[in-house]
Amino acid sequence: MKYCFLFCALGVMHAQDLGSDGVWLPAHVADLASKTDVPFQAWAKLKFETNHAMQRNDLDLRCLPPGVPRIMLMARPFEIVQTPNRILFVYEGGAHVWRQVWLDGRAHPKDPNPNWLGHSIGHWEGDTLVVDSVGFNDRTWLDDAGHPHTEQLHVIEKYSRTGRLTMKYDVVIDDPGAYTQSWTSNSSLTFRPGGKLAEDICLDSPANGTLPR
Amino acid sequence: MCVAWVALASGFAQQPPLAKDPGPFLQPGDFPEDKVPTAVAGPAPHLPDGRPDFGGNGAWYPGFNGNLAETTWKGVKSADKHVDVPFLPWTLTTYNERVENRAKDDPEAKCLPVGVPRFMFDPYPFQMIQTRNQVVFVFEGDNYLWRIVNIDATGTHPKNLKPTWLGDAVGHYEGDTLVVDVTGFNGLAWLDQAGHATSDKLHLTERYTRADSLTLKYEVTIDDPEAYAKPWTASNTIHWRPGMELMESICQEDEKSSMHMIGK
Repeated sequence: MKYCFLFCALGVMHAQDLGSDGVWLPAHVADLASKTDVPFQAWAKLKFETNHAMQRNDLDLRCLPPGVPRIMLMARPFEIVQTPNRILFVYEGGAHVWRQVWLDGRAHPKDPNPNWLGHSIGHWEGDTLVVDSVGFNDRTWLDDAGHPHTEQLHVIEKYSRTGRLTMKYDVVIDDPGAYTQSWTSNSSLTFRPGGKLAEDICLDSPANGTLPR
Repeated sequence: MCVAWVALASGFAQQPPLAKDPGPFLQPGDFPEDKVPTAVAGPAPHLPDGRPDFGGNGAWYPGFNGNLAETTWKGVKSADKHVDVPFLPWTLTTYNERVENRAKDDPEAKCLPVGVPRFMFDPYPFQMIQTRNQVVFVFEGDNYLWRIVNIDATGTHPKNLKPTWLGDAVGHYEGDTLVVDVTGFNGLAWLDQAGHATSDKLHLTERYTRADSLTLKYEVTIDDPEAYAKPWTASNTIHWRPGMELMESICQEDEKSSMHMIGK
């Protein structure tokens, strides 16, 4: 009986099952570079320092989508909806938006219209979901700390479910417009079986009304 | 007899007239739906377990249906049928004001959620993704929103719901129809672009039926005792656009327009 906690928590799980009966809660990672030296280009270092000092410039405060990978670092629950050719990420936090990852073998469009969440394609490497995203605008920050990026941003995310209740998140930031070489970071997520997403409309929150526009 | 006199005396017979349709803002032929080649409909698809399949390679496109109680609005086809809406005095006044002041306070124009059932009458493509225990709606507009319907045959809503824009939705399948019961609204969303109002007592029953591969029949019963004298039902026919994929649309990006909406 004393092992029940362990086994009940592990449950029966297929590693390519990203959880259809609950929600994921990412750890809050305010600074993506807390464990690494960022290979800044000069302008990007200046921009980072400006962003960091001017948090009111953070467009997340204006209820715009947080972008990738920041939306995975905000400690707000999200749900993963798996279908054979597409995986959807449905986020409670940020701007009540969703994101899609195509698994049907398509390539990125040649000249994607830059947007907030990018264009994402994915594939499985063993039990790891690898998501490759391009086509971002340059208005989001990579994290709360304010790491900037350009429209050349290319993000590779790796989602590895390490247990019934745990997932490892690795991310590669590749942006030749802002950094001299690609750099990496990682985080972890916790599963909440049976969890449901709440509705949180940022534009309707009392705090938002106090922001200058 | 007595009841009839009470009804007359309380003003049902002399209620003010409905505000008039403001007229066309686009000409027929200017709408995206007028430019799509016609496809040939096949039978409605089903999932392997027999449930109706609301998905596939494409998206649903409701078109612009500005008024869910009128068959034409602003010069184009609107809802499927006319409804004599059983307004209470305050909802009639509010409706008339909103139509006559050109919807200047429309929450959607401020990038707030379109709401239910308006999402089924507004020109934003959407997809329905069915899992074992949910139907996930994803919308291109107004702010790239999602909506989750939890499948639960008992139809039970959580207790002490926090009022929200989209409400709490619980669904079940009745043959080929997805039936969704929605409650827990905040009363702020408009039922349609025209401006039919609601209260936070709003309770919706939605019925989604894929009549054939290209056609989604949508019917919604609006039960709101603080806004309407009795429940009423509106409907729309929503068309499938084969191959259509949803684009990211972020209304809040550079939103500078609503402050200039001053009405008249």
